[in-house]
Amino acid sequence: MIRSFRKFFEFAGRQSRNWYLGLFYEIIRCIFEALQFAALLVVLDGLVRDHITVRTALLAFGIMLVSVIGTAFFWYLAHGREGEGSYRMCEDKRIQIGNRMKYMPMGYFNSHSLGKLTSVSTATMSDLESMSFVIIVRTLVGVIHASIFSAAMCCFSWKISLIFLTGVLLFMGINTMLLRCSQKLSPIRLEAQTEFMDAVLEYIQGMGVVRAFHMAKQSNTTLEKSIDETQKKNRLIERRRIPYIAAEQVVLRIAGAAAAFCSIVLFLNGTLELTDCLLILVSAFMVYSQLESAGEMFFMLSMIDASIDRVEEINQSPQMDIDGKEQNPERLDIEMKDVSFSYGDKKVIDHVSLTIPQGTATAIVGPSGSGKTTLVNLIARFWDADSGSVHIGGMDVRDYRLDSLMKQISMVFQNVYLFSDTIENNIKFGSPDAAHEDVVRAAKAARCHDFILTLPQCYRTIIGEGGATVSGGEKQRISIARAMLKNAPIVILDEATSSVDPENEAELQKALEALTQGKTVIMIAHRLKTVKKADQIIVIDHGQISQQGTHDELMKQEGLYADFVGMREKAVGWKIKADSLA
Amino acid sequence: MNQSQGGNPFGRLMELARPHKMGYVVSVVLAVLGVAFGIVPYFATARMTIALLSGNRDVSFYMGWCLLSGSCFVLKAILMGISTGASHEATFEVLSEARRESASKLTRVPMGYILNTPSGQLKNGMVERIEQLEVPLAHVVPEMTSNLLVPAAILVYLFLLDWRMALISLITIPVGMLCYLGMMKEYPKKYGEVVKAGNHMSAVTVEYIGGIEVIKAFNQAEHSYQRFTDAVHANANLILDWMKDTQKYSAVMMSVWPAALISVLPVGCLFYRNSSLSAATFITVTVLSLGIAGPLVAAMFFTDDIAKIGTVMGEIDGILNQPELVRPEGKCDLRNFDISLEKVHFAYGEKEVLTGVDLAIPQGKMTALVGPSGSGKSTIAKLIASFWDVTGGLITIGDKSVKEISADQLNDLISYVSQDNYLFNDTVRNNIRMGKPGASDAEVEQIARASGCHEFILNLEHGYETVVGGAGGHLSGGERQRIVIARAILKNTPIVILDEASSYMDPENEAVIQDALSRLTKGKTLIVIAHRLSTVTEADQIVVVKDGKIFAKGTHGELLKECSLYHSMWTAHIGAGEVKPA
Repeated sequence: MIRSFRKFFEFAGRQSRNWYLGLFYEIIRCIFEALQFAALLVVLDGLVRDHITVRTALLAFGIMLVSVIGTAFFWYLAHGREGEGSYRMCEDKRIQIGNRMKYMPMGYFNSHSLGKLTSVSTATMSDLESMSFVIIVRTLVGVIHASIFSAAMCCFSWKISLIFLTGVLLFMGINTMLLRCSQKLSPIRLEAQTEFMDAVLEYIQGMGVVRAFHMAKQSNTTLEKSIDETQKKNRLIERRRIPYIAAEQVVLRIAGAAAAFCSIVLFLNGTLELTDCLLILVSAFMVYSQLESAGEMFFMLSMIDASIDRVEEINQSPQMDIDGKEQNPERLDIEMKDVSFSYGDKKVIDHVSLTIPQGTATAIVGPSGSGKTTLVNLIARFWDADSGSVHIGGMDVRDYRLDSLMKQISMVFQNVYLFSDTIENNIKFGSPDAAHEDVVRAAKAARCHDFILTLPQCYRTIIGEGGATVSGGEKQRISIARAMLKNAPIVILDEATSSVDPENEAELQKALEALTQGKTVIMIAHRLKTVKKADQIIVIDHGQISQQGTHDELMKQEGLYADFVGMREKAVGWKIKADSLA
Repeated sequence: MNQSQGGNPFGRLMELARPHKMGYVVSVVLAVLGVAFGIVPYFATARMTIALLSGNRDVSFYMGWCLLSGSCFVLKAILMGISTGASHEATFEVLSEARRESASKLTRVPMGYILNTPSGQLKNGMVERIEQLEVPLAHVVPEMTSNLLVPAAILVYLFLLDWRMALISLITIPVGMLCYLGMMKEYPKKYGEVVKAGNHMSAVTVEYIGGIEVIKAFNQAEHSYQRFTDAVHANANLILDWMKDTQKYSAVMMSVWPAALISVLPVGCLFYRNSSLSAATFITVTVLSLGIAGPLVAAMFFTDDIAKIGTVMGEIDGILNQPELVRPEGKCDLRNFDISLEKVHFAYGEKEVLTGVDLAIPQGKMTALVGPSGSGKSTIAKLIASFWDVTGGLITIGDKSVKEISADQLNDLISYVSQDNYLFNDTVRNNIRMGKPGASDAEVEQIARASGCHEFILNLEHGYETVVGGAGGHLSGGERQRIVIARAILKNTPIVILDEASSYMDPENEAVIQDALSRLTKGKTLIVIAHRLSTVTEADQIVVVKDGKIFAKGTHGELLKECSLYHSMWTAHIGAGEVKPA
């Protein structure tokens, strides 16, 4: 339990100062609250001596008033600090994640890692934001409150005080066991949850298949099993948990009863005044009040623990060294020297050397999984090569600052990401100062001007989620307009494999032609026509260059390229033959 | 979204829980018993106080009472534990049932609803939302019972002892209430802004993370990062600001509420002075008054959970109350497999997609649907497969309306092969075998050979036993699609719909696939939706769809001559592709 608290304060970083100050205020608050004992003492003393005056009443009231006002004031101060501590902490962490992302290698980003980053910085962070405040405050204050009230008993009898403190310690001991138990159980629960989530997603996404093949009627499906499994795990966890919770309550109550009995015994053998004895009897109901009401919260400490782990995991993500400089090379020839690269254990690029002179077009072809995409990604420094080096304009890409490297390169992504903003802003995303005329010129060249004019608010139409819908081909062309405006001397593009409408396809080709005009072009090519026109064709197989040359040169050789061309021609010529139908 | 059924969310929750009412009844009964035992220690303390004041010095008397209160506390803790256990058992049953009900619901709603709803949203409904019912169901039932009953029972006891003191001890409650109202008055005013800032922040975060590749590629990291940090700061500032406003009130409330002694002690003194209150009763009242506020505060913390029920139930009902596709059971005789559409209208919500389509698709012939994207060609195919009901008009197969054909029979009639057919996280063999449960291994392999995927399957790590990963994630798009086609071939239905079935394919794979498709479709009623016009030139009938209407139909030759739209699509296509005019 203490470890959970320590971990939390470490995580809070510079905000832990707010927390410490807040806890200091909480201590003062509890002391003010403990003043109630003084008021009680005054009255009990009067009762025992049978000497109650108006002064007694006023004194009791006065003490209580001071207690309540002091409590309220320091409650306010403490919560102010604690609020700062918790919300500023989340603010810091969010910004830390955002900042770290600036230095993550481009290659690290994929749907999985982005999904995870998103879920951590939205869901996990907001859990932490709403939970940490309530849970940490109530649990810590519960402990502080009980400890101070127990300690206050010292004024009457250190023995009684010790009994109360023992109760607190036992409570914390059981709680530590509970947390340890829940730490053991939480992976089980998490696993059941993940499995269940996967089963549900599979069921939903596969619904078409489920229906087509009558799978819903089969009993004992994966989903069915997973629902039962979740229920079983939940019950298991609850059953393990409940005894601890009960034990916590029992320990406190027994300590309270023991303290009451001891105080009576002490009174009977003459070591304790009757007044003090009565006070202890009454206070047995007060000492643990806040600790008890925080009971359930202690269990949730493990959730904070888990959230913290999830956030910290982001700090394990790779970062690229950031010591590059602003570079402005005169020429922009690209050269790869003996480059190798692996994802984990899997070698993807295997000793590749090649040269791409400025102003030429290079087509990269090869079977799927051969390493084409990785090869171009290494040029744009999505990753650093494991060995060998990539040079642009004679300079190692690692010597470029990322933004000065990116200034040289435009990439046309397969998956187009558009911001939920106006079309105009999307096009001028890379050049925020561009004039409207420039935007229109780029849009015209990228063949999207015409369809933009048909949209309700033309260039000011909002697109993206919740905005106007544009087709995949149209999105592609908007992204090309965006790249046109950026006007980088090197263009890297991955020719779309999924076909768009015929009319869109023709437009897209024209847009790409405009974009690549006079540039150094590196493309992962699928269309024979573009491949044929390339100055240089590089055929990749199993991470190595298997052939290299122009179309005519390569057609004369036997090998992958000739096969590729043959296959390609066959595919295009294929048709579903009516006469083959019976 | 759907308020039509059940009305208030609380009632709906009860409806869900009703089958497991017994569990909750047991839970409440045990909780009430627990409360009864929990009151005993107060009584015991009162007895001991009286005895102490009257000079009773018999240790065994006190020991007896202390043991009694100790054991009652233990009993209470145990009973409450069992009570919580019982409510959890019942709740987990309720959750599982709600999940099973949603799962079976999904098999009856129109397939189109599932396709059009993001799978994440449906998953959330089935997993997270239902999970969120746990707290209101499992915790609120026993804990609210005890948290409200304990103060009530104490109050009754107080009134029996001395009604004046009972009223006096309650004074802090209305004072605290006033503060609560004050807090609530300020609550919604700023809360709206807080929610807005939170939503804005998460939108900005999602966009920053989702767009990070574009942001970096276009050198906007600093600018976007700025936008992101601004949103994060604004969120934290607003929350803290809002907290400061409300904390004034809660500070007073949380300090005044438990401070019953502020009224009980002074007033008690005065009553004692005029001899209308005995010392023993005074002390008893004091003890009892301490037991009222704690549970009430604890109960208040649950109001938040209860407030959320509305939203949560709403989302769950969003699934459970979806209109279903009504189809009869049993098998009907079909004369043939001709398909006909008569004056078919269809709308998604407000938007008319098909506006009166008449079309005959003869058995054993190939019909191609072509047209610009958004023209409605895919909708026509989906309506034939009963993904939705038409909003007007009639679709028949073999002269029977599709509404009179059972879902199972229709599934046995039609294979719907699209780009996003789903593979389950199972072996390749089992995924193919889904097409015909009970097919032998040899049969599966034979089909795989016929559909041109035998070879690549053998090249997989474990051949036919390779597990394909979630949604087939371990395979490439082309590989997935080939397995889907093999599965459909094995299913062997008289009607086949190919909805852009080969469009994710690498060109290298495409020839293989399309060859396989030719074989799959031999002798069947075939409906093809194709982007590459060249694949359908030899169809018996090509239907040009535009703006939700049939624009023209005929053979390739006829349409080239007579339909200018088709002609221009063809020109665009051959301009984009590399096919010579047929």
